Amino acid sequence: MTNKESILSTANALRWEIGENIHDSLVESIYKEAQSITSNVVKTPAEKARFNFDVTLDRILTSRWLGFPLMFLMLAVVFWLTVEGANVPSAMIAAVLVDTVHPWLREIFAALNSPWWLTGIMVDGVWLAMAWVVSVMLPPMAIFFPLFTLLEDFGYLPRVAFNMDALFKKAGAHGKQALSLTMGFGCNAAGVVATRIIDSPRERLIAIITNNFSLCNGRWPTQILIASVFFGALVPAHLAGIVTAGAVVGVAVLGIAFTLIVSWGLSKTILKGEASAFSLELPPYRPPRILQTLYTSLIDRTLIVLWRAIVFAAPAGAVIWLVSNIHIGDLSIAEQFINWSNPFGILLGLNGVILLAYIIAIPANEIVIPTVLMLTVLSAKLSGVGDGAGVMFELDETNAVANVLQAGGWTFLTGLNLMLFSLLHNPCSTTIYTIYKETKSVKWTTIASILPVVMGIVICFFVAQLYRLIIQ
Amino acid sequence: MTDPLQALLIGGSILLVVAVIFFPKYGLIARWSRAKRGIKRVQIEDALKHIYDCEYNNIPCTVQSIAGALVISSDDAAELVARLSSMGLLLTLDNGVKLTADGNSYALRVIRVHRLWERYLADETSVPQTEWHSSAELQEHKLTPAQTEALAAQIGNPHFDPHGDPIPTPTGEIPPKKGRSFLSMNQGDFGVITHIEDEPEAVFAQLSAEGLYVGMHIMLIERSNERVRFAADGDEIVLAPVLANNITVEMLENEKEKIVSPMDTLASINIGEEATVLNISKACRGQQRRRLLDLGIVPGTKVRAEMRSASGDPTAYNVRGALVALRKQHAQMIFVQK
Repeated sequence: MTNKESILSTANALRWEIGENIHDSLVESIYKEAQSITSNVVKTPAEKARFNFDVTLDRILTSRWLGFPLMFLMLAVVFWLTVEGANVPSAMIAAVLVDTVHPWLREIFAALNSPWWLTGIMVDGVWLAMAWVVSVMLPPMAIFFPLFTLLEDFGYLPRVAFNMDALFKKAGAHGKQALSLTMGFGCNAAGVVATRIIDSPRERLIAIITNNFSLCNGRWPTQILIASVFFGALVPAHLAGIVTAGAVVGVAVLGIAFTLIVSWGLSKTILKGEASAFSLELPPYRPPRILQTLYTSLIDRTLIVLWRAIVFAAPAGAVIWLVSNIHIGDLSIAEQFINWSNPFGILLGLNGVILLAYIIAIPANEIVIPTVLMLTVLSAKLSGVGDGAGVMFELDETNAVANVLQAGGWTFLTGLNLMLFSLLHNPCSTTIYTIYKETKSVKWTTIASILPVVMGIVICFFVAQLYRLIIQ
Repeated sequence: MTDPLQALLIGGSILLVVAVIFFPKYGLIARWSRAKRGIKRVQIEDALKHIYDCEYNNIPCTVQSIAGALVISSDDAAELVARLSSMGLLLTLDNGVKLTADGNSYALRVIRVHRLWERYLADETSVPQTEWHSSAELQEHKLTPAQTEALAAQIGNPHFDPHGDPIPTPTGEIPPKKGRSFLSMNQGDFGVITHIEDEPEAVFAQLSAEGLYVGMHIMLIERSNERVRFAADGDEIVLAPVLANNITVEMLENEKEKIVSPMDTLASINIGEEATVLNISKACRGQQRRRLLDLGIVPGTKVRAEMRSASGDPTAYNVRGALVALRKQHAQMIFVQK
């Protein structure tokens, strides 16, 4: 045996002696070495305890009695500021983009002698869809994200994760999922990006797949409108507001319940094979850098998400206009599909209009209601409302909406199931694309897209049958 | 419109059928993948593994013991032995059977996959430890040699499986058996667990429920025919001898390593108290262990409990100037000196 071979075989034999501790010993000696160097060259001031302000604040924010009330209060304020603050700019943007620029664009196209179908696709389809997405999406995001980022910058959000961890641990998830879940209330795509803070692979996938159960701001208007039409109408006028709000909050809470249940199920089944590790760093409190925060949250979160939504919404607008205006036989494609899918929709307690609206409005939840209204008018052949086939519209009065929907054959069950289906359906295409970019996996993207819509169909189906059996 | 009751019944039965097919563990798909274990190649490999185990542990191996280990009839086992002999993997002797050199290396290849897969599950996934063995039983027949080497490279060519068994090298090398049965210890002897047998499954589940793990320090307090009483990392545990027999130990000579009283864990220190890390339990593996080490939780580190979450768990500790929250289940695996 040559010398080299004997050394190698000795080395191989010694491997068995080293045992499993080699990695531990390496890290230990690295730390020992680092410590001896720092103790020689770094002088630490005598006072070593954590800064007093931090300690006091931490005591309050994580205390048994005050921890959770303060957290709910803080989130309530953020949501209230978002909802209240977004109303006015939303209306203003809509007034400009939809009520002023839209007719103006039509005139320009007419002046240029553009054929009617080009005007339809570009102005009534593409432009309106983009205008709607911008006016509904931009103001809440421009308020919600900076507020959220300020809390994060200050150091409060890690404390929320710290307080909420026990609950998420029971669901096999990570406390930081509380943050991506809350972010999802602003926008699911942003919520999916926010899961980057979770560094354990299994828990991160759980957070990504369940983020869609957070009701995003594109779905809040749908919930509020349908709740006030169908739930508010059940009770006397002075109670309508409370009942409506209760119904919407109920759906949002149901979403959180689904998040926890589905997280638990995933961690016990298909995600067992993913590694899991827990640790959570609580950084010291820092005064938030307001201008920098405004800039980064507007650029990083709001504008990127908005741009993606616009890119996806534009072709959807064209599709919406085309299916309403291309005729096969006597009826448009939209009407053909609505008539064909209506029995299935009715079986789920929904109808063909809703199914078609959710298929062609995949790019953005914001345009579901305008599309539903337009399609209802189209398929029920109502006159006097709306702007024609393929032109999405909204009505200012709740009563007017109720009249259109009732003419379209809607019942309380349709409203209830639409609210459930709005919570439980596939993520919008912006979110699906984001999930793919974050996971780089077709498998997890497919699961995240299909799972909620299957749940939605199953739940709507059983709710519809039970409702018909018991109440009707 | 469809009658709601009828629709309800149809919908309910569809859900039921889906559940019957896909339900984890009990569903048709799960059963079908387990049923594949009955096929010939799987039986051959399982028999070789069993005979190898017997030889490694110096237990006589017979047709009966093969039948018992594979849960097949004696007739089938005899047929299997005949087949293995005709393949040149096995020699039949007066007092039982013995592997040929070919049989030995075949068995080692199967065992290598089995133990590597258990190591992989322990370090890289969150599969509970009671499921490692049954999963490895399926994988050992599935992975090709190339896949096996890729897996080994991915997890850093480990030498031991999580039960403490050596993993054979690709060339079939394996060190001779070390350690002795737990029951051979005398009262007052100190030892460290080097191996916990993972078969039968029910026994292993009981041992892991007691919190025993490879690398645990034990001291025998009392032994009788009915029970074995011992201190494990300082905590007293009582086992039936039949269970204790599945544990292999190595004697401890070094005085410093002998643990007499229960060790404190990080989970037991109060808010505001400081403690010095002694070591991280071997039960903390894979990513979680690396995470703790990376945070600087190594022997000698001073750690102070700073605050508890509003819901009682986790707790935040001051580690080398950073505030790090750890869950109770992990803090319990870090031994400290108050």
